[in-house]
Amino acid sequence: MVTLETILSHTADHLVLVVMTLIISICISMPLAFGSLYNKRFGYVVIKFANLAQAVPSFAVVAIVVPLMGIGFYPAVVAILLRALLPIIKNTYIGLSTVDPSMLDYADGIGLNEWQILRYVRLPNAYPAIFAGIKFAFILINSIAILTAYIGSGGLGELIFQGLVAFNNEKILAGAIPAILIAIAFDIIFTRIEKKLTPHYRK
Amino acid sequence: MPSKRLFDRIDSIQLRGVTKKYDDRFAINDVSIDIEGGELVIFIGPSGSGKTTTLRMINRLIEPDSGTILINDQDIMELEPVALRRNIGYVIQNIGLFPHMNIAENIGLVAKLESWDEKKIKDRVEYLLDFVSLPSEMFMDRYPHQLSGGQQQRVGLARALMMDPPLLLMDEPFGALDPILRKQLQEEFYQIREKLGKTIIFVTHDIEEAFKLGDRIAIMDDAKLVQIGTAEELIFHPANEMVASIVDTSKKFKHLDTLKIKDLISPLECMYVHDGSLDVESAISSMIEKNIEIAVVSNGSGPLGIVKLIDLLRMDDKESKIIDHVVEIPSFSRNELLSSSLKIMQKDGHSMAFVMTDGKLSGFLFPNDAFSQVIG
Repeated sequence: MVTLETILSHTADHLVLVVMTLIISICISMPLAFGSLYNKRFGYVVIKFANLAQAVPSFAVVAIVVPLMGIGFYPAVVAILLRALLPIIKNTYIGLSTVDPSMLDYADGIGLNEWQILRYVRLPNAYPAIFAGIKFAFILINSIAILTAYIGSGGLGELIFQGLVAFNNEKILAGAIPAILIAIAFDIIFTRIEKKLTPHYRK
Repeated sequence: MPSKRLFDRIDSIQLRGVTKKYDDRFAINDVSIDIEGGELVIFIGPSGSGKTTTLRMINRLIEPDSGTILINDQDIMELEPVALRRNIGYVIQNIGLFPHMNIAENIGLVAKLESWDEKKIKDRVEYLLDFVSLPSEMFMDRYPHQLSGGQQQRVGLARALMMDPPLLLMDEPFGALDPILRKQLQEEFYQIREKLGKTIIFVTHDIEEAFKLGDRIAIMDDAKLVQIGTAEELIFHPANEMVASIVDTSKKFKHLDTLKIKDLISPLECMYVHDGSLDVESAISSMIEKNIEIAVVSNGSGPLGIVKLIDLLRMDDKESKIIDHVVEIPSFSRNELLSSSLKIMQKDGHSMAFVMTDGKLSGFLFPNDAFSQVIG
C-alpha cells in the first residue's frame, strides 16, 4: 500500500531535481550557444562535445558519474545535465545561425550593429527552435531523473525501482503516473510561455 | 545612441580606381565613375559583372582593396560604417522584411534605434505608407507574410525612406516580381521619383527598366565599367559590340514600322480576371492572395475594364460591386500596328490596353514599356 504522502513527497523530490537541472542546463547551454555563433572554433568544440555526451547511452552516463563523484543528489544532477545540454545548445545555435541571409544582409545594410542584429533579428527568429530544444531537454531530464534513483537521487524513480524489485504494480504506477503527468504539465506550460513570447506571425 | 547626420544632400559621388579582388578573380577592376547629386544612375550588366558589388561598396558592405570612394568629397572609409549606412537608404530584391515585426515596426526600426520618440515614428510611418500607396490604417499592424509581393516591395521602399536619406541604393528592387506587377511598380516609382528628389543608384539586369527609369546607364561587364551615358548615347554611340547587344539597337530599329501589337504583348493569366458582380471586399482579398495589383473586370462575355488594388483599398464602400468602379481602357486586336495603337493611347492618356485575339482577351499592352522596348 502506497500512501498519498509517500507519492507527494517523492513527487516533490523529483520536481526539485528536474527543475533545478533544467535551470542549470539552460544557464550553461545558452552562453555556449551564443559563444559558438561568434567563434567558429569554439562552436566546433562545443557541438562536438555535446554530440559526444549525447552518443553515450543514458544508463551509461548515470553509471560513469559514480566512480567520479560517488552517489547522491548532486552526482545525479551532473549525469542528467550531460544529456540535457545538447538539445538546448544545438537548437539555440541552429536557431540563431539559420536566419535568412537576405534578412541579415539587410540588417547590416541599414546600419544595425552586431548586438542589434542579435537582439532584433536573430533572437526573435530563433525563439521557436530554442523552445523546441528546451522542451526536448526537459523530456530527457524527466526520464533520466527516473534512472538516477539508482544512484541515490531520490524522486519518483525510487518508487518505480522499489516496485520493480518487489513485483509491486501499485508502487510502479505510483511512480510512473506522476512522472508522466509532470511531463505533460511542463509541455503545456512551456507552450504557453512560447506563445506569449513569439508574436503570431507564423500561421 | 543617435548617429550623426552625415550629409543633408548629395553633391557628388566619385569612385576613383576602385578595385576588389576575391582570390585571383576581379569583382571590380579599376572602376571610376562620377555621379552628380540628384541623378538616377542605373548599373546594368550580366550577372557577375560587378554591378551589385559596386553598389554594395557605396555603403561599405564591401570594402575596396584599392581606390577611393568619395561622397561630397569625403572618403567614406573615414566614416563610421553604421553611421554611413543609416544615412543611405537601401532596398534589395529579396526585400528582407523582418517576419516577426509588423509593417510599422519594420519601417520604424532604425528610427527607434536612433531614439526618435514614438509619436514622431508613428507619424512618419503613416506618411510613408500613404506615400507608397498603402493606406496606413490598413497596413501598419499587418505582418509581412500577409502582404503581396508588390506590397512588400512598397514597404521596402518606405522603410528605406524612413530616415529621409539623400541617397538611395536599390539592388534589383523589382527583380523578383512577375512582369505585370514589375511594370506597374516601375510606373509608380517613375512617378514618385520626382517627388523624392534623391540621388539614386539602381542595379538591374533589365534593359527596359534601365531605359525607363535611368538618367544615365552604366554598363558593366567582366568587372569593368564599359560605358556610361544616357540611353541616347548608348543607342547611337555604343562603345563596343557588347554594349550594342545589351541595348539591342540593330535588331529592333529595323522593325519599328512593322511591329505589331502581338510582338510586345504581355500575356494574360486567368487569375487576373474577376467577375463584375464581386464586391470590393472579396476582390481585395482575392487580389492580395493572388499577388496581383490589377484585376480585369469581366461580365462573363468579355472584359469591361480594369480595377487597381490601390484604388479598391482606398474605397469607403467595401460592399459595392467592382463593376461600379471599372476603369475602361482601350482594346486592340493583336494584329494591329503598334505605332497607330500607341498614338491612340497616348492621345487619351491611357497607361495600358487590352489585346484581343479572335474577340477574346489574350493579353495587355503597356505603351511605356512597349516604347522603351522599341527605342531600346
